[in-house]
Amino acid sequence: MGDKKQLFQDMSDAVVAMDEERVVALARTVIESKVDVYEAIENGLSHGMERAGQLFEEEEYFVPELLVCSDAMYAGLDLLRPHLTQCEGGSKHKVVIGVIEGDTHDIGKNLVKIMLETGGFELHDLGRDVPAARFVQKAGEIDADIIAISTLMTTTMDGMAEVVKLLEKENLRDRVKVIVGGGPISQGFAARIGADGYAAHAGAAVNVARGLMNGDRAHAR
Amino acid sequence: METPTPKERLLGVLNKEQELVDRPPVICVGGMMNAAVVEIMERTGRRLPEGHGDVDLMVQIALDVYEQTGFENFGLPFCMTVEAEVAGSDISLGSLSCEPKIEKEAYPSVSDVEFRDVEDMLRSGRIPVVLGAIEKLSRSHPHVPVTGTLTGPISLAASLVDPVTFYKELHLKRERSHEVLDYVSNLLAAFAERMVEHGASCIAIGDPSATGEILGPHAFKEYAVRYINRIADRVRIAGVPVILHICGNIGSVKHLLPELRVDAISTDVVVSLVRLKEEFPGLVTMGNVSTYLLEFGDPDRVARTTTRLVDEGIDIIAPACGLSTSTSLALIRAMTDAAKETRPRG
Repeated sequence: MGDKKQLFQDMSDAVVAMDEERVVALARTVIESKVDVYEAIENGLSHGMERAGQLFEEEEYFVPELLVCSDAMYAGLDLLRPHLTQCEGGSKHKVVIGVIEGDTHDIGKNLVKIMLETGGFELHDLGRDVPAARFVQKAGEIDADIIAISTLMTTTMDGMAEVVKLLEKENLRDRVKVIVGGGPISQGFAARIGADGYAAHAGAAVNVARGLMNGDRAHAR
Repeated sequence: METPTPKERLLGVLNKEQELVDRPPVICVGGMMNAAVVEIMERTGRRLPEGHGDVDLMVQIALDVYEQTGFENFGLPFCMTVEAEVAGSDISLGSLSCEPKIEKEAYPSVSDVEFRDVEDMLRSGRIPVVLGAIEKLSRSHPHVPVTGTLTGPISLAASLVDPVTFYKELHLKRERSHEVLDYVSNLLAAFAERMVEHGASCIAIGDPSATGEILGPHAFKEYAVRYINRIADRVRIAGVPVILHICGNIGSVKHLLPELRVDAISTDVVVSLVRLKEEFPGLVTMGNVSTYLLEFGDPDRVARTTTRLVDEGIDIIAPACGLSTSTSLALIRAMTDAAKETRPRG
């Protein structure tokens, strides 16, 4: 159906264009014309957000643009979500995310959260300035698949290693993957503290997370 | 050449009077680059966070840092929450090992920011403490430069308005964003002028929320360059030079560096300062010993890195970013000692 395809493309374009009003109008069209809501989210809203993430990686978009795109996407999502049937929502991989204690910068974390949500993960956001133990406790509580930790400050990198150690102590290490990122973090650092993955950009976090989940089918739900 | 005093050396570099300079100074400017590490304060018993709000204790801690680290300046204040506090945000002074931080931004949106009277703000909070400490140190140690350090305008605005909202509003509410930045820049410039009146030898600006990676070239030019210049112009009229620290990778905004009317540029460790100097001849550079190396490295590697920077002709040797409060004195000394070893400069 050409119309439907065009509608999804328009939604995707409106997200990339940061045009929240247009996204909302198109989402209403989806509902009124009884187009498949799940498809509209996947091929319209998420598609647009992934393109925005791509532009971010290519340094055409920066943080302000990406945040405004995500607002447009969420405005559409808020309208469409109530129309999803239960099974379409599906069970998703769960991610506990937060900024490690000592750091109150949460821009990077928020971007990763947006991109992971867009990528189909269920996010549990602990906010900023989070003690290592809180990550582990929350992960145990909700049976998380991934802990994603961010920092912008070199002064707080120890806390990331602490999360890995605590997971080991609690015998959760083989059930929960740990991904780290943020300004001062490198692949080398991630490996040194025993993290499973490192993402240089918010966009890359989705691929890293998906890769880890595919390599861990036993725990996939 | 007679050996210059630390103040003559730093000002010689910043004012491009090379004939006064025998070697690069090694400094740590204060603010986000606070050098009051835990090891010093545990040795002396004079501690933060108490020192953030007490003139005499602030002076003492600055002296302890000066004597024990070998940095050739007094860098004040020890945090980047002084300005946000007087402009209304909730802050926490932290602990011995955890630096002060914004607990809660004062306003949900740029539209809600109330413009307080600048003179009132300069009389409130810890501003008189910082000014008092600058005055005492500049009088008791006239040969040591006091670097008065400001929170940059974008970082201050993002400490008053929730940063996520603030970054979006740079796009969505441009006019109002400019009004807010105009307001915070007036406060910062006036604070800097007071610092100079009280004896600061130069002003450093650290604006970690205004990186090229976050803002991109367009917003960096429209907001960061414009308001940093506005502050820098007033500081230079007040008669002292300005150092600007830019966090992160400056790749996307490098072409804008010549538009910044500051006297020296400091960068993070990811940036090659020697290449930056090749690209912009005449640029005075500061940096950029890895703070990760300073925390987790060994004295030899720290010394080698420092020596390399000196040999490359980097003008001022400094940590590349904020020091971890758990950085050891031995590694800081490895850096300052290596920088001070006199070598013939080629």
